[in-house]
Amino acid sequence: MDLKRKLETKDFAILAEIEPPKGSDIAAMVNNAAKVKEEVTAFVIPEMSNAVMRMSALGAAMVLEAKRMETVMQVCCRDRNRIALQADLLAASACGINNVMAVTGEDPSFGDHHQAAAVYDIDIDELLKTIQGLEKGKDMAGIELSGSPDFTVGSMVNSGLEGTDLDREIDAMKRKIDAGVRFFITPPLFDVSAIEPFMNKINTSGIHIIPTVVLLKSLGMARYMARNMKHVYIPDELVKRIQKAPDKVRECIRIAKESVSAVKKNGFSGAMISTIGWEDRLYDIIHGI
Amino acid sequence: MIVADKKPVEEIIEFVKDNKKILILGCNECVTVCEAGGKKEVGVLASTLRMYFLNQGKEAKIDEITLERQCDHEYLEEIRDVADEYDAIVSLACGVGVQFMAEKYHSVPIYPGVNTCFLGATEERGLWTERCQACGNCMLGITGGICPVSRCAKRILNGPCGGSSKGKCEINKDLDCAWQLIIDRLKALDRLDDYEKICPIKDWSTDRAGGPRKVVREDVQI
Repeated sequence: MDLKRKLETKDFAILAEIEPPKGSDIAAMVNNAAKVKEEVTAFVIPEMSNAVMRMSALGAAMVLEAKRMETVMQVCCRDRNRIALQADLLAASACGINNVMAVTGEDPSFGDHHQAAAVYDIDIDELLKTIQGLEKGKDMAGIELSGSPDFTVGSMVNSGLEGTDLDREIDAMKRKIDAGVRFFITPPLFDVSAIEPFMNKINTSGIHIIPTVVLLKSLGMARYMARNMKHVYIPDELVKRIQKAPDKVRECIRIAKESVSAVKKNGFSGAMISTIGWEDRLYDIIHGI
Repeated sequence: MIVADKKPVEEIIEFVKDNKKILILGCNECVTVCEAGGKKEVGVLASTLRMYFLNQGKEAKIDEITLERQCDHEYLEEIRDVADEYDAIVSLACGVGVQFMAEKYHSVPIYPGVNTCFLGATEERGLWTERCQACGNCMLGITGGICPVSRCAKRILNGPCGGSSKGKCEINKDLDCAWQLIIDRLKALDRLDDYEKICPIKDWSTDRAGGPRKVVREDVQI
């Protein structure tokens, strides 16, 4: 069942993040995805996350779609102007990519090409309106298209914010909903109760919240995230659990698996599993959920 | 200098139409030279607004002040005692001045009265043209003193492109091809060998790629 239908029928969707390769060799990416394609509803293809240059989300999504694996192509405004963004969205639609996710994109200074110029010709709200426009058959210049795309559109929401920051984020979220966003992916969730303040403030009618489940790779990573990522809550017990485990990687996989189950049990529309480069472990996390 | 152009008065009226005490604040520096925001333009805008309010049958007090600069704390302090008396201040300084005003005076809205355009020069009375985009990594030393970043439509660093024709740019026949100017200049300086050198890929991190920029000079800091 495809993502759109899963969301419509409230069937739990499993999204899995697959980073495109840094190079033209797609073998590892395809193999990792193929191993879990039966369990995964759609593969989320980041658009050069952290501004690290690699194969484009469009290219990687086309590769997987050609092998009958559904994708969610991320689109950001950092690297392309409005002409290129629209062109790639049309190309994506023509190549069978039916899900797109508008993301802000990190500044080039975060990545591996510090000297690159950022584009940001349009912002994320304008991008979403552009997608709506394309779907209605017109480009940003108002010129009629020969054939129009029909995307299921997603975006990110930082559900881990607090106070007025969270209020602002929810305002931005409402603008995105008005601009056609139907599913939102949250930051990593390690304790379902941590997202409750956010869930209590929003109206989920017509939209789908999909928490991210991140595979912790080590005790160090868990500690680092707990200390430095203020929008992500990692309970101390979880860190201690990894600390005590004789096989820490196996324990981390177990934690990720439990997190996906907890997200499912709590009635969310789906989970987005991010392994941050360990896509070969996706099977261990997903299998049997 | 920073070159600015007057904002359409309708836009300014939209900002202040509901206010009763308005200060028009000019700047004696760049915007005076480019005749967009100096004492003279402050007077013209103030008169225009007075006429607008009169025609609307509304009462409004429009005051005029022109500061030496709006991008320095010390000059902005000169209106400390009066700023809060106004419902709105229309700053005719560049975007720097407007923002510096807004950072300093929190209780009164500051509206821009000009559109800040570029870093440029006065070619002739009433004609200002762009010369610099403040990319933070000046390459004029190798391009004969002519900037391809600000003057080439495509920002090409190894030009010209195929659109250069008879010394003019393809986007506008009235626009000089920056690379034709560079070649002519290097030729005149007997430095055409420089033209043959391939310019390395530009580091845009000193431009806007790294977010808002700052210059820190510890040697002059107090």
